Amino acid sequence: MVPLMGNVAQDDGSSSVTSSPLKSFSLMSLSQPALLPCAPWLRELKSDERGLCLIHLLLNCANHVAAGSLDRANAFLEQIALLAVPDGDAMQRIASHFTEALARRAIRMWPGLYHALDSARAVVLPLAEAAVARRHFLDLCPFLRLSYVVANQAIMEAMEGEKVVHIVDLNASDPTPWLALLQGLRARPEGPPHLKLTAVHEHRELLNHTAIRLSEEAERLDIPFQFNPVVSKLDNLDVESLRIKTGEALAITAVLQLHTLLATNDSADARKAAQRAPPAGITQQLSLGDYLDKDHGANGHSPSADSVLSPPFASTSPARIDSFLAALWGLSPKLMVVMEQESNHNSAALTERFVEALFYYAALFDCLDSTVPRQSVERLRLEKMLLGEEIKNIIACEGWERKERHEKLEQWARRLNAAGFAAVPLGYYALLQASRLLQGFGCDGYKVREEGGGRLMMCWQDRPLFSVSAWRC
Amino acid sequence: MAAASSSVPFFGIRDEDEHELSKQQSTTAAAPPGAAPAFAPPKKKRNQPGNPNPDAEVIALSPKTLMATNRFICEVCNKGFQREQNLQLHRRGHNLPWKLKQKNPKEARRRVYLCPEPSCVHHDPSRALGDLTGIKKHYCRKHGEKKWKCDKCSKKYAVQSDWKAHSKTCGTREYRCDCGTLFSRRDSFITHRAFCDALAQESTSRLPNGIASAGVGGGGQLYGSNAGIGGGINLDLIPPANPPQFGQLSSTSSLFRPPQSYLAGSGSGHDFNSLIQDMQNNTTAGASSTGNFYNLSFFSNNAGTTGAGTNLLLPSDQFPNSRSSGSGLFPSINIKNNVPSLLVADPTESTAAPPAPPQMSATALLQKAAQMGAAASNSRSSLLSGFVGAYHSETTPRAQLVDNERSFQTLMNSLGGGGGAFANNLDDGATKLHHVVGAGTPPADNGLTRDFLGVANLSVLESEMKSAFSRRNNNP
Repeated sequence: MVPLMGNVAQDDGSSSVTSSPLKSFSLMSLSQPALLPCAPWLRELKSDERGLCLIHLLLNCANHVAAGSLDRANAFLEQIALLAVPDGDAMQRIASHFTEALARRAIRMWPGLYHALDSARAVVLPLAEAAVARRHFLDLCPFLRLSYVVANQAIMEAMEGEKVVHIVDLNASDPTPWLALLQGLRARPEGPPHLKLTAVHEHRELLNHTAIRLSEEAERLDIPFQFNPVVSKLDNLDVESLRIKTGEALAITAVLQLHTLLATNDSADARKAAQRAPPAGITQQLSLGDYLDKDHGANGHSPSADSVLSPPFASTSPARIDSFLAALWGLSPKLMVVMEQESNHNSAALTERFVEALFYYAALFDCLDSTVPRQSVERLRLEKMLLGEEIKNIIACEGWERKERHEKLEQWARRLNAAGFAAVPLGYYALLQASRLLQGFGCDGYKVREEGGGRLMMCWQDRPLFSVSAWRC
Repeated sequence: MAAASSSVPFFGIRDEDEHELSKQQSTTAAAPPGAAPAFAPPKKKRNQPGNPNPDAEVIALSPKTLMATNRFICEVCNKGFQREQNLQLHRRGHNLPWKLKQKNPKEARRRVYLCPEPSCVHHDPSRALGDLTGIKKHYCRKHGEKKWKCDKCSKKYAVQSDWKAHSKTCGTREYRCDCGTLFSRRDSFITHRAFCDALAQESTSRLPNGIASAGVGGGGQLYGSNAGIGGGINLDLIPPANPPQFGQLSSTSSLFRPPQSYLAGSGSGHDFNSLIQDMQNNTTAGASSTGNFYNLSFFSNNAGTTGAGTNLLLPSDQFPNSRSSGSGLFPSINIKNNVPSLLVADPTESTAAPPAPPQMSATALLQKAAQMGAAASNSRSSLLSGFVGAYHSETTPRAQLVDNERSFQTLMNSLGGGGGAFANNLDDGATKLHHVVGAGTPPADNGLTRDFLGVANLSVLESEMKSAFSRRNNNP
């Protein structure tokens, strides 16, 4: 490769430090890594320019990864590594997580490497870490608490006059909303109802912790309370195990859970392998890798072995979501509260997902950057263990593994309507309580907005990040 | 009326609940001695406070009797009634003799009641209350347990009617001070407000120390100089987690004060007031004032350092809220002129190790990149530019959601265009680069990669990908 720098530097004679640092940067040939270390001007990049630089590098890198040209992707990754650090400003942090995701995505070309690295972290993060990250999310951002407030208000309104209330929590790692609900029920003018809480979670320990906490509180408030733990993953949950009695007043809450059920074996790798003419020697590995991939991500569903080298859209198993929603509808819930991320991270094309995710997580990282100090360990943990993992899942995973299939509320509404649910507008009072909570939170970048149909959007600076909606059977 | 026999001096101390008692026909102690009560029902004479009816019958009931709801018991079935009349009507059912007594106004003795609680003011016959219901409520309120709680706020009541009356009005009319305190009464709100503003101004003088010690020099620039007014008060607010100081510092910025006065108050931005007003005239959405506001803030800091004040208006115009009217004023060509000046100033700045410059948020950077891509790639809409002017309550369908192929193309274009513009902006000899690359056509790759051998390959790659996408789209 002809080094570019030699030519052009003479042309405009600007190789001194006083020239624009970015200009020199742009002139540099990527094929000359030896030039990279001598880059003191990189430090002189102002953060905006560095940010813009990062964006362009990221987009290019994503393109090349999506196209499979890993050499160029690698070069971009090297460049990005100079600028992106996980403890810098918002754009740097975003870049560091997105490049890790891209790198993992690139490694999928060599499935052996991919699976070797993946299984190292496939213990999923240790349970405690994930719980800690979730706790930080609860503390540092108001979104979860907003949804709890809104959900509790909707539950109280729906359950007015009921003597027995049964609530099913589809991800009960957090006793916070139910503590608040117990308080609210206590203050009901007609007295508290008998409360049954059925909590679904993968891990028994978290359920135990929640059980203890809630039972103590109910005892203290003198509310008849019953806790039923159900240890199960969501995608193979048997609704019979929830033990709902016919005619019970039932409320279901699904906070950031339903999108995991959209996972299906629509691995894009299979399609790419079938269409592209890969460099020699890789073909075998790709097919084997895809086969392994389907097996690996099976999760109890039998892989369709004939789809490895088959033409693209053949034999994609349907996602679990429709049967799950139908089963929930069959329980005749009085109320179902759904909170989801408001962004489309489920398109089949990597580049689309990449750009959507970039904008979405930029807003999330921005809100953290504006409200939490940079050196905060909690923020770092949250970004790395929760948001970073989500990003990696969106970008680097495919098929059954890709659980973070966020979709926008309109899409969810269509699915829920198709399953038989009708929308329940969240009342004025829910919005009022949400606004009050935000005012108490003390940062005016956060906003809560009502969308058509009585749904609430939680926004950062006018960008909706999460949606909350209520449904009935 | 003759003075009371026990000439009790005026009790100047007023009970807390006096204003509620005044509703009833009782001799309450209003403030000035000898003043008539505020209202006098025409039917019954009200005594002067402190001067009870001397020939009234004083009745002292025990607490149990007082709280007993059913004082009239049927001797046949022991059913209790609150009123004599109801009992009589009930007795008809037992075929017992019944008589509905009429109250005889001539003979009726005026009755006054005493509070059974010895420590209470109304335990004294001279301060007896004139109504049975009144004494019952008084006893509950003052000496009873508060069993009724308002569900909106946390106020508790012993008397159900009080509770009902309160819940009707709770939350309906509220005043909120900047510091977050809620008031239901206008007068107390105003008083607090005056006091609170004093606190606010006091804190601005303390603030620079607060900022420096908080160590937010590095990151807080979004709210940089603006943290002035709000900082002091909000330090009292306990945030749910680690002190989100930026949030605290900025929380008052948009609550009640218009940005103009805000900056004016901080004392550092007088010359920017006109800038802000211009910006706000250009912006379309009211809600965007905050967004523009914080963008302006860091630009204002920049202006201090580089002296290029007017130039800095332009990027914020590209933000979604002002795209309609403002963007026309600042075509992308301005970027070329302005950015180099900023960059030229950089080395001197950075060598002097200044406090870290204010930073654009990641979202803002993305939108700027999209803008640059959109500006450079003429008529074709870029993928990124779809995000410009992005979010309103009605989600606007965007091309990339519908058309894979087109979106990928536009992404490439935005990179090519955006990259090209990006490189151009930075380069005084912009045209020279293009010549060197050797393409009169817009480069298909972005300006940051210079790969002579690869140019041809890239275009091949691009067409390959396009066909791949079209194949994907054609397949069902």
